[in-house]
Amino acid sequence: MTDPYEVLGVSPNAGDDEIKKAYRDLAKKYHPDNYADSPLADLAEQKMKEVNEAYDMINNMRQKGKGTGSAGSTGTSGAYGGSASSSQFYSVRVYIQRNMINEAEQVLNNTPEGNRTAEWYYLMGMCAFRRGWNEEAYNYFQTACNMDPNNQEYRAAINNMNNRRSYNYGGYNTQTNMGGGGCSCCDICTAMMCMECCCDCGRGC
Amino acid sequence: MFGYLQIQKSELLVREYEAYKAVYCGLCKQMGKDYSFLARLSLSYDCTFYAMLLMSLSRGCSGFDKGRCKFNPLKRCSYAHCENESYSKAAAFSVISVYYKLLDDLEDSKFFKRLFVRLIKPFFSHWRKKAAERFPETESKVAEMMQAQREVEHGGSKSLDAAAHPTAQMLADVLAEEGKNDAETRILREFGYQVGRWIYLIDAADDYEDDKKSGCFNPFLNIETDDMKTTVNNTLNQCLARAYDAFQLLDIIDFKGIFNNMLLYGFPSKQNSVIFGQQEVKNDRSI
Repeated sequence: MTDPYEVLGVSPNAGDDEIKKAYRDLAKKYHPDNYADSPLADLAEQKMKEVNEAYDMINNMRQKGKGTGSAGSTGTSGAYGGSASSSQFYSVRVYIQRNMINEAEQVLNNTPEGNRTAEWYYLMGMCAFRRGWNEEAYNYFQTACNMDPNNQEYRAAINNMNNRRSYNYGGYNTQTNMGGGGCSCCDICTAMMCMECCCDCGRGC
Repeated sequence: MFGYLQIQKSELLVREYEAYKAVYCGLCKQMGKDYSFLARLSLSYDCTFYAMLLMSLSRGCSGFDKGRCKFNPLKRCSYAHCENESYSKAAAFSVISVYYKLLDDLEDSKFFKRLFVRLIKPFFSHWRKKAAERFPETESKVAEMMQAQREVEHGGSKSLDAAAHPTAQMLADVLAEEGKNDAETRILREFGYQVGRWIYLIDAADDYEDDKKSGCFNPFLNIETDDMKTTVNNTLNQCLARAYDAFQLLDIIDFKGIFNNMLLYGFPSKQNSVIFGQQEVKNDRSI
């Protein structure tokens, strides 16, 4: 295994607070919510796992050294994903999960007009999104949402997209003048926190 | 479609800025060495970005040399020293893409510009051949992209995604080549795709008013919306957001601060100035 300090990007002499901060920053960075629907979700999860392991390892090492100290409980990457299995497009979902977009699209395109439910539109959007065709994906998600406004899954996908579309990375703001330096780090943090709250509620599970 | 991949100088550390300049100058020098003194004029920020990414991914940068600028002998500058062929690859990419851009310009530009293009085309044609010998893959990817682009534009497709696809795919392929393992290849593909898409779309947004008057192809002309600027802005935001998500998964060590600066400040600031005509935070025109 690689050096846990390297994984967190801190020096072995760093204080506990510094390590905690580094851990929190990374955990936020690789949080599954940031990569929901992304074709790279599994890689982000992998990173998250590494970070969690490194943090645990450092904590264990330090506790042994000190003999005392409170255990820093780590948030393990929760069980995300796990969508409805009783779906008529089960095979499509499996294909998408394995990044086999061509196969998924083939099944979808062979679906007769009459069977094109909200889920069909949602999955078409998913395929488009994986390909990087953001606009098409957006339209499909919207159709799915309109057909079945109560579905949490579709709503989450569209919320996710809207977040990205209005996302102001680096505090860059289109409405105000850049001269003042845009908004501060605090603003980003609060925005992130709000976003996270919303996402959690939206999932409702 | 050149020169959108910029830094935002005011947000860089001084040493990062120096390093960026050194890569820029190093690439310029390499273009002189591989092609000719004149080829240096085709140097762009985009290719600097590409060279820097190549160097960072291969960990090829081994320090900085001091020297003098060929264009301005009074100016002292430093050159980022590179162990592998990152510079050559980026230089080849630069002359190849400029050559195809010229071909494109020949088809749809005004008389004087066409005359100028005719004049310089033979040089680039020669350099392109030289570049293609050394990096046949790069050349075939760019050629493919131009072909696909032409088909999309003449095919009457109304889809924004389809119009942006050739450029995006090209950059995705070009970057995916650098992946050292399966995971990195996938990340680079996604990153390249979204950055390529952003480049194509911001270029389209830049030409929007002109194309509207002249009736040239522009993917945004097919979109019906009350608030064009917001729509364009959202579309571009999403590309950058996805590109940044992918970038964060890369294990980048060298030039990391510069890349972050570009993705978080440089590109968005460019985007703002193109869409909203906002004053860009000033960069020196020439480095």
